Order: sequence, then structure tokens, then C-alpha cells
Amino acid sequence: MKRILISSAAVLALFASAIFAFADIARPNPSPAVEAKTLLYSGLEIVTDPKAYEARLQISQDALRRMQQGAAESGATTSLGTRLMHSSTRTMMAGMFMFLAVSFAGVWLARSGQRRNQKAVVGVLLIAAFLGAATVMVRANAGPPGYIRWQNLPQHLKDGKPTYGGVSVEVVPGDGNIKLIIPLRTKNQGE
Amino acid sequence: MERAENISVAGWSAPRARVGWRVSAKVFAAILLAGAFTSAALASWLPLQMSIATVFLFAGPHNWFEARYFLMRLPARFGRSRNFFVVAFAGIFLLTLGYISFPALYYANLWSGANWPTAIATWNSALLLWIAALIVMRGRQTSRRDWFWALPVAFTLCAVNWLAPDLFSLAIVYVHPLIALWFLDRHLRRTKPEWLSVYRRCLLVLPVLLLGMLWQLSRTPSLADDNGLFWRITQHAGAELLPNVSSHMLVSTHVFLEMLHYGVWIVALPLIGASGAIWKVNTIPLARRTSGFPKLIGAFLVIGLFAVALLWVGFSANYSAMRDVYFAVAVAHVMAEAPFLLRMI
Repeated sequence: MKRILISSAAVLALFASAIFAFADIARPNPSPAVEAKTLLYSGLEIVTDPKAYEARLQISQDALRRMQQGAAESGATTSLGTRLMHSSTRTMMAGMFMFLAVSFAGVWLARSGQRRNQKAVVGVLLIAAFLGAATVMVRANAGPPGYIRWQNLPQHLKDGKPTYGGVSVEVVPGDGNIKLIIPLRTKNQGE
Repeated sequence: MERAENISVAGWSAPRARVGWRVSAKVFAAILLAGAFTSAALASWLPLQMSIATVFLFAGPHNWFEARYFLMRLPARFGRSRNFFVVAFAGIFLLTLGYISFPALYYANLWSGANWPTAIATWNSALLLWIAALIVMRGRQTSRRDWFWALPVAFTLCAVNWLAPDLFSLAIVYVHPLIALWFLDRHLRRTKPEWLSVYRRCLLVLPVLLLGMLWQLSRTPSLADDNGLFWRITQHAGAELLPNVSSHMLVSTHVFLEMLHYGVWIVALPLIGASGAIWKVNTIPLARRTSGFPKLIGAFLVIGLFAVALLWVGFSANYSAMRDVYFAVAVAHVMAEAPFLLRMI
């Protein structure tokens, strides 16, 4: 009887913990009425020129061609990472298969270990390398998040040094000016 | 006993390389290299034209040769391999049906194609799990093998597939032609082992050729896909999925691999006697055994020839539409390669 009571209490406590876990999930942001359309992902270099009188925006012919192409295809050029982030089903399925792969690889390794099969370890390492490469391919921007590159922008602007980082060219509704949004975090906003 | 059962004897011994005693390993290597270099040059020079011409001329015949080859590899009695073949044929049938149903449902306005990536990822996963099941079943047929590794590898590939289903399908398009080279390797190992080392050395030239093509063509402008047919060819090679890559490079690479694929099935394997004497039905175990089906097998091969002729008529009448139909239906031969290749390993 005592054991049943303790077990029931443990199960209830486990269910109760789910409430706290769910409570921690942030409320989803209301989706904007009109979304910006990404036409191109490219690099952006901000350079100071003490002799210039006007700010200038220079775009290569190739980038312009790709932007025109992107505008014509309207959204077909969204990066793989973006498409993936918008597809929870695919992410979940990939995660599930990843879980199965790791589980079965563990069983296989354990069996191979008994037979001293060294090739097994090499195989697992190859799979891990393949997965890593695939992740780089899918995310398309391996390495630290983009905003890291812009952290030194204020100092570089003061020193007259160039700063280089990634940029997504977006088309937004309306007739306003060209706007450059730099992901600059103050110290208390940093992750 | 198992070993004897697995080998469909007629395929390995009866026809024996008809030109084998006349062609030396060096001549064989020279033919291979000349074929590879000529294919690479033509595919790089005239990618769209070569794509149209090779599919028109060789798509049908290579399927016929493949079908005949598989019939020769099919044992007269399945014995302990019965379950293996049941899973193999069920998979080929169901997966082909699923693959063809996507465009069929779309053109019949029964499906908008809205969840295309999910649909194709599901199909790719089914294909991978089917192949994994065949590998595990084949591994269990002998106690010396432990092919359990196929499961984690298949699950890993499934995960990658769900991350980028379109790119995964494109990878299948590029990898499939290379499977023919594996068939040739296995066949040479059993019938012409003295050519095997030369053949494998020739295979080392392939990545060099491919890298050379990629390096040379990566700087070329994309092909003008201003008509429906050229657009279909560039899309098939992945131009839409890889917009920043020259479509000239993509189409050339794909055409080069396809030419190798056709070359192996139509020239190399029949040349070394792998397909048997083409017109002799009794080189096929199912037809030769006492309670066999020689007439049925003969009729199947003749109907196959009519299908090849019909394909040529279709290509002549409406090349673009026939090309789409062909590549949808031809997925069956892509899948049929898996069980028969496994039987040779």
C-alpha cells in the first residue's frame, strides 16, 4: 500500500512538473500581417570613407541579377535553414530518425565491441562527420551566429576600419527609405 | 549449400565472356578509359543535346538489358531466399506505385502538391528502410556476416533526408548511375578476375575526371533553359535546388554519369557475357529448369522489345512528355538494382 502511494505521488509530481515546463515556454509572438520576403543572402561590408559626401550602397552585378531572379521567383530562394525552421514536422521526423540512428548505432557498437571490430568505430566516426557536414549544409551559416560579427562595428567605425558580416536582402511593403538593420546587442541584451 | 543456392549458376558460367579470350586486360582498360573520356568531353561540350540524344537512344534498351540481366540472376528456386525476394518484389511494387502516384494525383487535381517535401521525404524514408531491411536479411543468410550496421546508417540517412528531402532526392539522381559500375565490379570478380585490378585502377580515374569537369564547368554561365524541354533537363539535374551553381556544370555531370551507366549496361556487361546469349532464353534459370517457364520468359523479353520500340515512338511524338513519363516509371529499375546487387555481395 505504501509503495502504491509513493508511486502515485511520484507520478503525480511528474505530471505536475509538466505544468511548470509548459509555463516556461514563451508565448508565441503574434505573426505580422505582412511578412518580409527574403530575396538574397549575401555578405555585407561596412566601410567608412572620410572623403565621401554621401552614403553609398554598392551592389555587384551578380548580386543584382540574383536579387532580380529572387524577386521574380518570389520566395523560391529562401534558404534551406529558413524553410526547415518553418517545418516543424520535418524537424521532428529528422530528430526521431536521429534518435533511432544513435540508439541502433549504440546497440551495434556494443555488439561489435564484443567481436573487437575496430571498423565499427571508424564507421560511426564517418557517420558523425557526414552528419556534421549535412548540418553545415542545411544551416548554411556554420559557425557563430551572425550578430557576433557586428559586435565590433561601433569601435571599427570610430577607428575607420571595415566590418564584414552576412546580410539578408528583404523586400518590405510600403514606400519608405532603404533601411539597414544591424543586429547589435548591448551588454545587457547579449545571450 | 547456401552458397550454391545463392549463385544462379547460368549467369556465371554458361555464356562465359564471348570475347574474353580475344580481349586482353589492357585493351579492356583502354576501351573503358576511351569511353569515359569521350563521354566526359561530349557531356561537357554539348550537355543538353547529349542528354536528349542519350535518353532517346539508350534509356529503353538499357532497361531491357537490365531486365534480362536480373532474370539471369533470379534463382530457379528461391529456397531460403524466399523471404528476401518477397520483401524485394513487394518493395519494388509498392515504392514504384507510390512514386508514380505523386504526379498522377497532382495531374488528376486530387492533390495540390502542397506538402511535396513531406511526401517525398516519406517516400525516401520508405526506400531507405526497405534497403536496410534487405541488407539485414541478406546478412542473416550467412553466419559470417553481421550487417546490423545497415539500420543505424539507414536511420541516419533518413534523418538527413527529412532535413533536406529535395536535395536527398537529387543525390539519388546522381548516385544511381554509379551503381552500374558496382555491378560490373562484382561481375568481373566472378567471371574475369584477371581484369578486376585493371578495372579498379580505371575507376580511380573517375573522380579525377569528375573533379576536372566540375572545376572547368563551374565558371561557365548557366544554360539557356528558355524552352520547356531544356527547362525540364536543367531541373532534373538540380538547377532549381542549387540556383548558385552553373546549370551547365550540373547537366554535364549528370549526362556524363548517365552515359557511363548506359555504357555499362548496354556495352560492358553484355561484352563480358554477363547478359548471356541475348536471344537464348535457356540461359535464364527460370526458363531452363525442368518445370520452368521458357515461353513466359520469352514472351516477357519480346514484349520488352516492343516496349522499347514504343518508347522510341513516344519520344519521337512528344519528347518532353515521354521523358517525364519515362523517368517516373523508370524508378522501378532503380529499385530493382538493390536486391540483385545485394545478392552479388
